[in-house]
Amino acid sequence: MTLMDTPATNQRNDSSGMTRSVAYEPKGDAKAVKYEVIDAIRSGAVPQATVHPEVVAPDAVIDVQKFNLFYNMDARALYDVEMKVPRGAVTALIGPSGCGKSTLLRSINRMNDLIDGVRVEGEITLNRSPIYAPSVDVIELRKRLGMVFQKPNPFPMSIYENVVYPLRIDGERRKSVLDEAVEKSLKSAAIWDEVKDRLKSSALGLSGGQQQRLCIARAIVADPEVLLLDEPCSALDPVATLKIEELINEISERYTVLIVTHNMQQAARVSDYTAFMYLGRLVEYGPTASIFQKPKLIETEHYVSGRFG
Amino acid sequence: MTQSTLEPPKPAPAPQPEPAAPEPTAHKRRRTLPSALGEPMVWLTGGALTTCLVMIVLLFSMVIINGSQTFWPRPIDQLELTTGETLLGIETQHEPATDQTEARTLYRIGNRDIGQSSFRWINDSDVTTKTQPADAVMLEREAWGVWFGIPEQIIRVSADGADPEVIASSADTYFESFDELHSQARQDKALIDRMKKKDLGRINARMNQARLELKQAEIEASRQGETLFRFGVLGWGLVLILAGACVGALIRFRMYGTEMGSPVARQGKLIRAASTVVLVMSLVALWVGSPWGGVSITESDLDQMRVELAQSETELQAEYDEILAEVREIEDADSQLRVTIVEPTTNQFAPTSQTLADQRLHMSQIVRQVRPNTMGLSEKLGVYLSRWWEFLSTFPREANTEGGVYPVIMGTVLLTLLLTVVVTPMGVIAALYLREYAKQGIITSMIRIAVNNLAGVPSIVYGVFGLGFFCYTVGAYVDTGPSEKTRMSVSGWWMLLVISGMLIIGAIATRLWSKPDPGKLPGKLNVVLQRLSWLVWGVSVICVVMLIAGTPYFNGLFEARSSDGTPTFGARGLLWASLTLALLTLPVVIVATEEAIAAVPNSMREGSYGCGASKWQTMRRIVLPGALPGILTGAILAMARGAGEVAPLMLVGAVKLNQDLPIDSEAPFLHADRSFMHLGFHIYDLGFQSPDSQAARPLVWTTTLLFLSIVFALNLLAIVLRAKVRSRMAGPTV
Repeated sequence: MTLMDTPATNQRNDSSGMTRSVAYEPKGDAKAVKYEVIDAIRSGAVPQATVHPEVVAPDAVIDVQKFNLFYNMDARALYDVEMKVPRGAVTALIGPSGCGKSTLLRSINRMNDLIDGVRVEGEITLNRSPIYAPSVDVIELRKRLGMVFQKPNPFPMSIYENVVYPLRIDGERRKSVLDEAVEKSLKSAAIWDEVKDRLKSSALGLSGGQQQRLCIARAIVADPEVLLLDEPCSALDPVATLKIEELINEISERYTVLIVTHNMQQAARVSDYTAFMYLGRLVEYGPTASIFQKPKLIETEHYVSGRFG
Repeated sequence: MTQSTLEPPKPAPAPQPEPAAPEPTAHKRRRTLPSALGEPMVWLTGGALTTCLVMIVLLFSMVIINGSQTFWPRPIDQLELTTGETLLGIETQHEPATDQTEARTLYRIGNRDIGQSSFRWINDSDVTTKTQPADAVMLEREAWGVWFGIPEQIIRVSADGADPEVIASSADTYFESFDELHSQARQDKALIDRMKKKDLGRINARMNQARLELKQAEIEASRQGETLFRFGVLGWGLVLILAGACVGALIRFRMYGTEMGSPVARQGKLIRAASTVVLVMSLVALWVGSPWGGVSITESDLDQMRVELAQSETELQAEYDEILAEVREIEDADSQLRVTIVEPTTNQFAPTSQTLADQRLHMSQIVRQVRPNTMGLSEKLGVYLSRWWEFLSTFPREANTEGGVYPVIMGTVLLTLLLTVVVTPMGVIAALYLREYAKQGIITSMIRIAVNNLAGVPSIVYGVFGLGFFCYTVGAYVDTGPSEKTRMSVSGWWMLLVISGMLIIGAIATRLWSKPDPGKLPGKLNVVLQRLSWLVWGVSVICVVMLIAGTPYFNGLFEARSSDGTPTFGARGLLWASLTLALLTLPVVIVATEEAIAAVPNSMREGSYGCGASKWQTMRRIVLPGALPGILTGAILAMARGAGEVAPLMLVGAVKLNQDLPIDSEAPFLHADRSFMHLGFHIYDLGFQSPDSQAARPLVWTTTLLFLSIVFALNLLAIVLRAKVRSRMAGPTV
């Protein structure tokens, strides 16, 4: 079942989005199918995203409005992305490499500011306050968000100091407060039992999975409004991945989580909502169950079942 | 294919009867060139490395061997010459026969006070007998170098001219009673030295201080005629209100524009920055233009001071005389104890001094008596160690050719530490800006090239710069304030104060508005504003420098002393020497720090930003600690480079002799204005500037050994520190 929203009207003149080559080899029975949306995107169009009614007007924590992002003046990475991230749920961003998932995620806490020559159009709001308005203090913005990166990046300090880092930079000195926060967030990150006896030893001595859970503890210690996870398991083995996924399930009770993942099964396991992106466009967005079981686009169906991409 | 069938290739293909199956070994064997063989290169590279190692080992062993044997007591030979002379001396060097000379030996024969040179070549054929008399001694004396002789007696002369009391009359009794008497005499000597240096020195310093205070008052009184602008009470009050208003604005607007997404964030920042600038400027104005600030010294005040000075001078003089009398008393008592040490050539005894050739040597003048011919190994070792201790812990004597190098060690170590303390923060700050804040581009590349070139400037050039800039410009400013040429007019200065304030505010404003909105590329206006802000910053920095350098309100910190013709900081000294060397070693620190900062992984920075840390917090908590081992490496390299530098020091502060240490118990304890002694310069001085270079030669080696050890020890210290930091940073598995 394919709902196409008049791609012709969205036809764009520039073809800069076409510079990337994409692994797009229909296999098996997919050969017979015509990917209308994907083909339109590949030819430079910006078709309207297929958004399921469940996510059209939820109570959104993050509201991405007509968002475009350009690297190096005019290399376009995001095309008119419109997306509402529902509160208190896990939302997964999936799509092939280079489709702009991470770029979108990093636009939310303005990590892309660190790169020279990045320009954006449109707006993102966090709890209704705009992120890209002039004079938004990016530091204050990042204090409201927690972020976990692809590769575990604990600081070369003790486990304790790693966790309290966000509090320390806010000038918190009271030991009782810090101790309490460490215990609470390490417990939330399901790593307390493993490290409670060696809080003063270096965080670099932990295993990769432990390091990533420590990073999650660090990201939630200051009670962020949203937790951004950028492929948090891509550098981990399956056992560590499983633990992180269980952890995401647990913390999703308290936090809104936005997770970028390469792994479709992971998206299916941990997320409540899933957005499928392709070449910088949002293609289909809806509840995870419908995206994986009865997506509206044939492309999505084939992508989540591994038949292309 | 068709073409080849139509016209066959010219070299007719050999008829191939049938396409034979290719041989299994049909692969073409690739040629291995002779130059591909590696063995000669192994030998060549290994040989080169060995050559380097041999040279290093040679250098160190030569310094260590030569340097460590200087203090070993060697036997004294008694030579009977064919000319009938008898000589006592120590063999130092032997030379085989050459075309011009016979085989000959260089003897150290000392006894300079009776007119002989302290070293003498003696042809081996001239020696009839050579013995090692048991009683022969070598005296190391306070003055006139060593004396070789045979001891005969110890006497105590009496003050009233009566016959002297004989304490020891033969060599045997002499040696029995010498040790006890000598140690007593030396203790007294040390006491006298301490009294002279400390007690008398302190009184002298106090007298001097009182005189300088009077002089200062006189200078200030003479300046009262000049009219420097000062506020009236009303005007001053107005400025005070302005300062208060700024504080009020800071409090009132402390949160203005700080809420997220506020449209007036820039305005808020500007208001706070501008209030701070105006506050600082008005505080300066309040301080400088205070109506109560001027000194009013009347002639009667001066007279009063003069009377007080005369009074305290009398008191101090009395105290001085008292101590001096005490010193004299001990000295007289000590000088009664005399020794007769006869040298065999002329049967002359060792005199007190060259001018008093008929008076026997005072026992207190003997630093050490060595009787090597009867000494066992342990005694020799004792002498050896005591000589080392003397070398390390005492001041030099005899134009640096005898005695110790204590002040030289102090000068070297202090200089090196001071330069490291100055250069490390300077270099780290510069590197941080260059690597973390500055936008990487052609300008930063040019700055990097310039910094690297700075490392190649000959060190003497830094010496010239240090002398001209630090000693004679900055130092003179510290001493006496701005010179006539640079001093600005009062109205001009106040105008400049206001202009600088406005410029700084302008620079901040242009900077604030030059930043594009988030997610936007800098527009034309932004670029123009940014360039403008750089320009305004540059101009305001120049203005502030001019404000400080040309202020008519500053007359120096050491005016009175300078008017005596003895500049304090306006001359060569430890501070300027270490600043010069800091400048010289700055590139080393900058380059090392930059590399260390670049080596901190970006994921660490991202992690920190992701936690909501600002750039500076990230730098302070993540980047700097991560780069610390590398920064310490830079400091070590700078230290090693600076410690070994001599040429610029000759210009900016190292001297042949300074009895005053740069650090002592008198306030302010570290006297950075004093000139100092330096081991590198000391080696040069010993080797080439010494009146008795033959005698100084072994000391050159010993001093070199000491210099090497000190530089090595300082480096080791820093390396241990770095290892500690590294082990603290690294986790157990990384």
